[in-house]
Amino acid sequence: MGLPILEKVGLDGNPPVRERVRASMHLHAVLGSLPHLVRLDPEGARLARGIGDVALEFRVFAGPRVVLEFRGGSVQVRQEGGSDVGIFFPSCQALNRMFDGEKVTPIPFKFRGIGSLRALQRFPAMTDRLTHLLKPTREALEDPSFRARHVEISLLVGLAAVSSLLENDPRVKQRVGPALHHGSIQYEVPGVFAVHVLLEPRGIRVGAGPLGDPATTITIRDVDLALGLLQGTVDTFAANGSGDIRASGDLHLADEFNQVFERVGFYLK
Amino acid sequence: MKLYRFDRSQELFARATKVTPSGISGNKNPAFAVPGSFPYYAERGSGCRYWDVDGNEYIDYLAGYGPIVLGYNDPVVDAAAEAQRKLGAAFNHPTPRAVELAEKMVSLIQGMDWAAFGKNGSDVTAYAVQTAREHTQRRKILKARGAYHGSQSWCRSGLGGLIETDYEHVLDFTWNDATEVEDLFKRHDGDVAGVIITPYHHPAFGDQVLPKPGFLQDLRAICDRYGAALILDDVRAGFRLDLRGSHVHFGFQPDLTCYCKAIANGYSVAACCGTETMKPAASRVFFTGTFYTSAVEQAAALACLAELEKRNAVDHMMAMGRRLMEGLGKLAEARGLQVTLSGPPSIPFMTFTNEKNFRRSQRFSGEAARRGVLLHPHHNWFLMQSHTEADIDRTLDVADTCFGIVKKEFGG
Repeated sequence: MGLPILEKVGLDGNPPVRERVRASMHLHAVLGSLPHLVRLDPEGARLARGIGDVALEFRVFAGPRVVLEFRGGSVQVRQEGGSDVGIFFPSCQALNRMFDGEKVTPIPFKFRGIGSLRALQRFPAMTDRLTHLLKPTREALEDPSFRARHVEISLLVGLAAVSSLLENDPRVKQRVGPALHHGSIQYEVPGVFAVHVLLEPRGIRVGAGPLGDPATTITIRDVDLALGLLQGTVDTFAANGSGDIRASGDLHLADEFNQVFERVGFYLK
Repeated sequence: MKLYRFDRSQELFARATKVTPSGISGNKNPAFAVPGSFPYYAERGSGCRYWDVDGNEYIDYLAGYGPIVLGYNDPVVDAAAEAQRKLGAAFNHPTPRAVELAEKMVSLIQGMDWAAFGKNGSDVTAYAVQTAREHTQRRKILKARGAYHGSQSWCRSGLGGLIETDYEHVLDFTWNDATEVEDLFKRHDGDVAGVIITPYHHPAFGDQVLPKPGFLQDLRAICDRYGAALILDDVRAGFRLDLRGSHVHFGFQPDLTCYCKAIANGYSVAACCGTETMKPAASRVFFTGTFYTSAVEQAAALACLAELEKRNAVDHMMAMGRRLMEGLGKLAEARGLQVTLSGPPSIPFMTFTNEKNFRRSQRFSGEAARRGVLLHPHHNWFLMQSHTEADIDRTLDVADTCFGIVKKEFGG
């Protein structure tokens, strides 16, 4: 029989890098996309209203923390500040197993009022809806409107996950972090959506909507092509060469960013 | 005029992506230039002219990313290569061409006592680094941040296929900052094997930066003070600034020098040269490849170097480059556009001043390509000995049109 603690905590006292990266991605990129679920999906918005006004905290031992603040049907994601109700995971692995679909029972560690209990009861429906949008059925994808929403929110999750890699993978942090210069990259499907990444001294911020003057613009011909890129059924280079994807502006920035972005798939499926 | 189309290029590239990772690897991938407004595949060349697979003809300032220094299909170089080809291309052993080329390099490159040959720039920069490490019995190599020294693991940027030990002993300094170099020597006292530099800083996606007065000489003094080797990576600039080596142009003396690109006018030869002091260490580094001794390319190099001298090629390329740079500057100014022309005239580059995102450069280069002039938006340009005043003037005519398009789209 092995020593479980050594599996959960690396020899330096920290969780193994891969687990730490995945935990950060799950909290900051996946749960961090809930505001976009509310914006894009009427059912998601309805579920958010049902949760009430509450600040819900996810905390992982020796790992990341995030607070989801529900107010009047909107959701804000923050790293700092207090909460009304908290859920604790004993390890990054435990959190990751839950996101992988395994049964994990987290430990509630804080209650403030009856609304907290209601929020805890109703929150899983919201994550189910997020899963529906991020991992849709083939039938759901046949609806063009749903397809566009799936592509947009998946792209937002992937872009936000870059931050988790840069902060938690020492190799990426050391190798790419210092070289990554500041600027902005906009990804757009004309007439459908635009999302963006801001690379700033304080870190990376991901958002929806077009920028006034992005340093780099990546224009993807249509939603179906974008879906193919996400699913790995379309060759990015071929699309670039044919003009189905058009990159313009600071391509050096896009190239540096892409070195990390293309690794997100190693951690998030 | 009818603007060029690139249908055949795009068709070939689509096929390539099915059978080759990324379609075309490295800096020749369409994504590095202006996809959709740039050729992807070559058909033939002659002098400074180049034809792509769609039959489009260009006045070329990429020169195969450097190697075409005389001009495509130079008859003298090709005749020398063909004469050797009739004797045989690759053998069990080197041919006399290997000895003759080493003797030529030693007599030509100032301060160098030996030469060894590979096929690409990466072969010889890696060999020079290993020689410096072997000579000093130290580990660390210092290089300028953003400098390109090839595609091998020790110096390649990014993450793909690399592990920490590939690059943990390679440290970056800021170009033109000798104090930072000396600080690195102090911080890694007794463990710095060498400093590798290009003769001037020519990063992709940026203006070219010449050495500050005294910078290269300071590096020489620092290396002497700490017993480290000074390596000149002259792969890109070699034979376009001074045939005796770019260190002569800038007035400093390295211990090891690396050449490739322009050495054989398009035939694949790379050379590492060194001082007598470095020779024992160089001998202990196992340096070989199946084609390192291929004779056709070495015969081409001998002919190319002779022709460069005979035709006074460097002076000509400098003069043509000056004509190009001055012309571009005047045309831009007349249109109310601000451009920065950087680098030596034979290896010039142009950016739109204060524009960090290259949109004007991409539009300018894309429009120029569609009108028959190849000027890269993100990578320095190269003059050839075959560029004439008429080619430069035709280039400037096209450039004027393209400046007009940029002005109309972007304003100032």
